[in-house]
Amino acid sequence: MEIAKKFKNTFSTVPMLSWLLGTLTAVAIEYFWGYDYISYYLGLSKIPVLFGALIMLKEPMMIPGAIGYDLIVYVIPILLIAKTTAFFTNPVAAILEKMPLWFSVILHLLLFYYTLHLWAGINDYRNIIVRLTLISIILTISINVINGYQGEFSCSHPGFMAIGAYVSSALTLFLFANDKMFGTALLPQELGPWGFPFILIAGGIAASLGSLLVAIPSFKTRGDYLAIISLAFMFIVKSAVENLNVIGGARGMGGQPEYAPLPIIFIWTIICIWVIHNFVTSIMGKALNAVRDDEAASESMTVKTRKTKMTAFMFGAFWAGIAGGLFAHVIAYINPGMFSINRLAEILAMVYFGGLNSIVGSIVGAVSINILGEALRPLELFKWIIIPLILIFVMIFRPYGLISFKEINAKRLLRSKHKREQGV
Amino acid sequence: MRKITVLIIVALAFALAFSSPAFSARKTVIKIGINAPMTGDIPKVGEGSKYAALLWLEDIEKAGGLEVGGKKYEVELVIEDNESKAESAVKANMKMITQDDVLAIVGPQSSKQAVPAGEVANKYKTVMISPWSTNPATTMDRPYVFRGCFLDPFQGPVVANFITEEFGYTKAAVLYDVASDYPKGLAEVFKAAWEKKHGAGSVVAYESFTTKDTDFSSQLTKIVKSGAQVLFTPQYYNEVPLIVQQAKDLGWKGPIVGSDSWGSAETVELCGEACYGLYFSSHYAAAGAKGATKAFIDRYTENYGYIPDDVAALTWDALKLAQQAIQDSGKITGRIEKDRAAVRDSLAKIKNFAGITGNMTFTEEGDPIKCAVIVKINDNGEYEFYKSSCP
Repeated sequence: MEIAKKFKNTFSTVPMLSWLLGTLTAVAIEYFWGYDYISYYLGLSKIPVLFGALIMLKEPMMIPGAIGYDLIVYVIPILLIAKTTAFFTNPVAAILEKMPLWFSVILHLLLFYYTLHLWAGINDYRNIIVRLTLISIILTISINVINGYQGEFSCSHPGFMAIGAYVSSALTLFLFANDKMFGTALLPQELGPWGFPFILIAGGIAASLGSLLVAIPSFKTRGDYLAIISLAFMFIVKSAVENLNVIGGARGMGGQPEYAPLPIIFIWTIICIWVIHNFVTSIMGKALNAVRDDEAASESMTVKTRKTKMTAFMFGAFWAGIAGGLFAHVIAYINPGMFSINRLAEILAMVYFGGLNSIVGSIVGAVSINILGEALRPLELFKWIIIPLILIFVMIFRPYGLISFKEINAKRLLRSKHKREQGV
Repeated sequence: MRKITVLIIVALAFALAFSSPAFSARKTVIKIGINAPMTGDIPKVGEGSKYAALLWLEDIEKAGGLEVGGKKYEVELVIEDNESKAESAVKANMKMITQDDVLAIVGPQSSKQAVPAGEVANKYKTVMISPWSTNPATTMDRPYVFRGCFLDPFQGPVVANFITEEFGYTKAAVLYDVASDYPKGLAEVFKAAWEKKHGAGSVVAYESFTTKDTDFSSQLTKIVKSGAQVLFTPQYYNEVPLIVQQAKDLGWKGPIVGSDSWGSAETVELCGEACYGLYFSSHYAAAGAKGATKAFIDRYTENYGYIPDDVAALTWDALKLAQQAIQDSGKITGRIEKDRAAVRDSLAKIKNFAGITGNMTFTEEGDPIKCAVIVKINDNGEYEFYKSSCP
């Protein structure tokens, strides 16, 4: 504990900018020397993809090597650079504080993206994990709007995702790709990447229209009843797709062009976080929380409960549709079985693990479940014992998830941490 | 602060001291990836694939490595679990190709995973042999993707012909899972073949259910009432016993015929005597096998305590194919991209490969031309060779 306290003290003056610089340095070290020198002298056959987790679990003999690698490449450079650059990043952060917030946020995001891009660029396996994790983040945040902020228990998210995935795949295949299902492309293929955002939005809109099917009959119901209606909706979507041979039925739909590389998904994720953050902190968001806590009371306080609930539901479904569209274009194959009860369990696990009513919580939940799922891959069956166990413990000790009821405060996150200057 | 420094130094010292291969050069190891469903819906399939692969590795190790161009190379298996999920199969393939540097991949078994995973393998120009996937899309327009089994458009007519010749029936019923790609495809192909033979309307009942259903009584009642003489149900081992037992309870007297998905060892174990005397089309028959097939079956049974199902046999063949392709490529350069391309070229050239599931020659698409076997479940619950049908 003494060490932890000291550690916290030492690094309390480090601003976010320094941490990002430190991470960038670490990734740069890995990029330039990781394969040729560091992993070579540690006896590793390659750069460990997920901080050595895969190697450690597969070959216990390699544990020291992998830990050594993590220390040399990540821990030491990050801490060192973060601490040593604090002397100039603090004034920089102070200057940025005086500028508009968006400028500072974009600057930080660019730096973060560059780091992520470099890290994921080292290995394509990392790349696909990062892409799928980002998609999970969109999914988790969007379900948090319904299950967290609105306080319902909706199970139809995989259904919304399926609608988004199928609508956007059908559109891209129809418009921009030569395939067996819809024949030759209607539009020149070069236009594809430019048309993709509109296609995704169309998928999102289709999903939110689909959500009306759940929202309208479930106006008067809450809790368990809504859960059952939404669960039914999920199965309806799945069976409908299975029986629609035009879009492949149970065989699925494949051959989507690769319109979803890392930068595109990253931009969508940031837009999603930003828009949902604004939504839940707006008056509508407050109304949503009021409806969650007491519907009758909020009704009497002039909150239009019906409209609020509908908007939130459609809004969450829209983002699930976007996530579905991105997912379809990453895997380049979808079948109705993908959007079933397993997916629901995964989404619910991410949102309840991370934390209700919190965007940060959703991000934490999505990232940790995804990374855990990948890192424990060598354990095969035991993976499915360990992850549920962790979930159970989280539910026992933190019933609302790891980080719940907390909002992002960009200003606070990015501010300068020089105590003397602030006179603390 | 000092404590941390000390800790880090100690850790580093440990790291260097214990990583025995430290400072040694990276040597060329031939790695073969196995992408199998170890967890999820059909773990038995994953287990069969894994065991067959382990037996294969044992052979290679006994021989002191795989000999390519006069030099022996150490072989390593990379077994990845695809959780019976498409995205997990994609990730597993990506991991094996970019991280583990595998020379060839065997798997995934089900088409649901093999179709998207094949996309990855083809994109990264790595040979992938799916032993069990019957969906045409798996290998279509993918020069690097091959398969070890025949396709549904071949199997459907085989079953239809067999029933006609064996029993002389003209009215058939079909019960299949509409939510699963393989049964649905096969049911359609069978229906088309049957109606071509006996005229439109000769499939008197065409009933479906959805994955994880366990009660088939309403569909089976319709089938019994329809006056069908034979029931065709291309389902997996977890559904076949339920279907067969419920059909018998509802008064079904005719034969029930299945497809290669019945071939798992579990089918008879779960079904018991109700399944004795039934027929299905398959890749190979365990009882009454001869030669190399028998040797494989005996070894497998001895090691793992049960008779290998067709997945294990096909996986074995796929591995043998990969082995021969690697040996035929003549040289391992250590430059993985080049080696992978060489393996692909020699695999496409293989002619009349003598596998334990029959002789194979690949078509342009990477699909093998091989015979199907009609298997009878005999009174001891063994899968007995009954007839063979070649294209």
